[in-house]
Amino acid sequence: MTQDIPLTWFLYFASASFAIGLMGVLVRRNPIAVLMAIEIMLNAANINLVAFWRYGTPPPGEGPITGVMLAIFVITIAAAEVAVGIGLILLCYRRWHASDVDRYDTMSG
Amino acid sequence: MPSTAALTMNYRDFLVLLPEVTLAFWGLIVLAADLGFWRARPDDVRLRRLGVLTLIGCAVALAAAALPLLSRFAILDPSTCPLVNDYSSNPDPLVFFGTIADDLLTQLFNLLLIVMFALVVRMSMSWQFTTSWGEYYALLCWSTVGMMLLLASEDLITLFITLETMTICLYLATGIEKNRLRSSEGAFKYFVYGSVSSALFLFGLSLVYGLTGTTRFGAIREILAPIVEPDRLLHATHMTVIGEGLAGQVAGATAVLLLMAGFGFKIAAVPFHQWAPDAYEGAPAPVTAWLAAGSKIASMIALMKVLLGALGPWSASAASVLSPGWIGVVVVLSSLSMTYGNFAALAQRNFKRMLAYSSIAHAGYMLIGVAAAGLSTRRYESAGSVLFYLIVYGFTNIGAFAVASWLARDLGSDDIDDLGGVGRAYPFLAVCIVLMMLSLIGMPPFGGFFGKLYMFMEALSQPGDQVSRLTLIWLVALGLFNSVVSAFYYVRVLKAMFLRGPTRGTLKPASSAIVLPILVGTFVVVATGLNPRPLVEFAKDAAVPMLSDGGSTAARTASTPPRVVPIAPPPAPLPSKTVATAAEVAARVE
Amino acid sequence: MIVPIFVLISVIGLLAALGTVLSRNLVHAALYLVAFFFTIACQFVLLEAEFLAAIQVLVYIGAVAIILMFGIMLTRNILGDDTTSVPAGWKLPAGLASLTLFGVLAYGISNHTGAHGSAATVGTAWSSVSQRPGIGPDADPKTPRAVAIANMGKTVGDEMMTRYVVGFEVAGLLLTAAIVGAVVLAYRDGADDDPARRVLKAVGLFPPTPPPPGRAPTPAAGPAATAGEPRV
Repeated sequence: MTQDIPLTWFLYFASASFAIGLMGVLVRRNPIAVLMAIEIMLNAANINLVAFWRYGTPPPGEGPITGVMLAIFVITIAAAEVAVGIGLILLCYRRWHASDVDRYDTMSG
Repeated sequence: MPSTAALTMNYRDFLVLLPEVTLAFWGLIVLAADLGFWRARPDDVRLRRLGVLTLIGCAVALAAAALPLLSRFAILDPSTCPLVNDYSSNPDPLVFFGTIADDLLTQLFNLLLIVMFALVVRMSMSWQFTTSWGEYYALLCWSTVGMMLLLASEDLITLFITLETMTICLYLATGIEKNRLRSSEGAFKYFVYGSVSSALFLFGLSLVYGLTGTTRFGAIREILAPIVEPDRLLHATHMTVIGEGLAGQVAGATAVLLLMAGFGFKIAAVPFHQWAPDAYEGAPAPVTAWLAAGSKIASMIALMKVLLGALGPWSASAASVLSPGWIGVVVVLSSLSMTYGNFAALAQRNFKRMLAYSSIAHAGYMLIGVAAAGLSTRRYESAGSVLFYLIVYGFTNIGAFAVASWLARDLGSDDIDDLGGVGRAYPFLAVCIVLMMLSLIGMPPFGGFFGKLYMFMEALSQPGDQVSRLTLIWLVALGLFNSVVSAFYYVRVLKAMFLRGPTRGTLKPASSAIVLPILVGTFVVVATGLNPRPLVEFAKDAAVPMLSDGGSTAARTASTPPRVVPIAPPPAPLPSKTVATAAEVAARVE
Repeated sequence: MIVPIFVLISVIGLLAALGTVLSRNLVHAALYLVAFFFTIACQFVLLEAEFLAAIQVLVYIGAVAIILMFGIMLTRNILGDDTTSVPAGWKLPAGLASLTLFGVLAYGISNHTGAHGSAATVGTAWSSVSQRPGIGPDADPKTPRAVAIANMGKTVGDEMMTRYVVGFEVAGLLLTAAIVGAVVLAYRDGADDDPARRVLKAVGLFPPTPPPPGRAPTPAAGPAATAGEPRV
């Protein structure tokens, strides 16, 4: 066996992706672009989970694939969230005839 | 498969989930009944029939939720009924391999949530705000299932899924009033803020998983609990050995901050509150009621379970608030939420928006109790005071949003000034509304007063070092100041009702759909105000399993982490009539 | 050998993520996102979770990215121009915020010392874990994890039906709710456009009912004339 990848490298990758996703959420005004950035953040968390599963030592009584199971559930939730998000975006687009987060602003205070 | 073959499902566990399963299926039944039978009917007929059908489902679920409580208190003899027998013969408070709790807390709150849900359903039948009735009721049912499982979950994986189920159903229900711009806008904002916060929450969760290697609350607590050598215990003179806290653990601190961002969003604490006013104002009033009551109750309990239960050893090191730990975060969130919520509510003219800011402020009050429970030796009492507060708050808010439904039904708006003339036209209902508003302010002798009093007393009766006591005293002082501030905007409602005439139009007589939630809210406020002791004790008993039983069987038999707290002098009795009653309440509780 | 592959994949992944976030054209952003999803799948393969990699490709690239594309098309961004750009003054703080977040996370990861707690299993610092356990000629193929890696599909099924059965059922409920709700919200309103009623009408079962007073959305009117909306 040659040299393996250190755990921290995966974690750095996940953190960097997460930070990029957060930047996208803050920077973009198009709702679909915001949704994409959120997906990046969720994927970053998944990398974390699977890396911790593969490298860590589970305490006694723990299932064999906890991190992977959570990652699978996260993928499911992300799919549901995107479906709901696109539904809401279409609804808002039909109302305002614009896809711009800053223009959905009739309430104030 | 040596590892997984050992796991065998105990199908009796599903009996524990009977209320949840009933409601989940009932959502499908309502949807099928709408699509299959009643879609061609006029909307008002559908509204009524589907509402009644959903109420029948609530009744069935209520019966299922009442069974374990009845057998617990020996009202029902377990041997007579095979179903109850199965319920009560389960000695383990954790079912489904330690992912779901089955204890007094979940049983009590299942029952309460179903009652509140039935009120919300009844309120929804008051006017037609959508045409998709079947889908509307189904989504509300499913969000309730999410809430009930959320407060029962004992595992971060289950917690995350149920949290998402609850919020996704609520995003959709918020946007259901499709012919109003603000409903779509509120739903959209709720969705965007909600998904960002759940992404943050998930990343924090992944860090906790990495730090501990597990997702079960009990196991996390066990792993994080410090080792204390015996001699160190003996020589601990001043400092409490609660744990090292988060000192030197930047990864753990980041995880806590990210988790708090997620929870702070769900309970609408400043600075994660931006969605709340828009979503509350935009959503149809029954959905807002469910957002304010059900969602907040379930998320607050989940927050307490995670922070006090699983991450308890990370509360603070050496019992000092200023050391790294989640107590400091909770203190900051609490002060910000109370102050911002109340001052922003002062400026509101819209009734629902005002209630939104007031609910932000109430989240701040509740966090005082969480901070107290984290620092205190009387953890159960402190957490129980938060539960008591939540129950009273939930019923009061449903009643208050029934008033908003009334306004929306007859006037299509919900400004505070539109309540003008109610005092003269409907004196009885007006008095009920007055009682609820007084309870929200925290005026004696109503439920809200005892909720606050009990929580503040717990916060004040903390032993511990100077810094943490001063911090809690500061929080309580801020809470009292904020209660005074809040009086100004609640009183504006009363002023509009009694001193002003009708502005936009007169309200037609309220239907029973609106009267019922108001009456129940008033009843809870008055009943818990006149005799708070039974509910207070019940809440305290419910808080015990929430904080201690979270975990595997091994975790429960293992000794709890050592907490050596120096005996501090009890707080000086405050010379006041109201505080005397407070001490009475506290004494009776003990 | 595995290290350069990881570095290559990570660099591509981060560039794709940056492209998603920064490209002005939404369709380009979506394509970058597909590339990002694919690099995540590659990372899963490197972490020996091939089953998860397959799910990643099927669900994220096969479903999520396609739904996003539909969303882009349906909101008339057919050319994909994201004309609503952000004022430059806001970009700098956002970039700084995310850089700070990355800095804090990276500092926390590299300085992790293991939990203070009692369990020796989590006592090792992350930065000292340079080798995944259970690999090599002397590794035990009977550990739960080794078994799980060898039969990932079976293990996932077993876990879903036992330990995480509540989560599994709730996930099913969540997907149902999301589909029902998304259909309701995204469908055009008005009684005639109700999907179920349209079917009923086609078979002659739907009696035309007059819309209730006070709530009459006129399809011809624009969004500004949405009924019942108080003027701001």
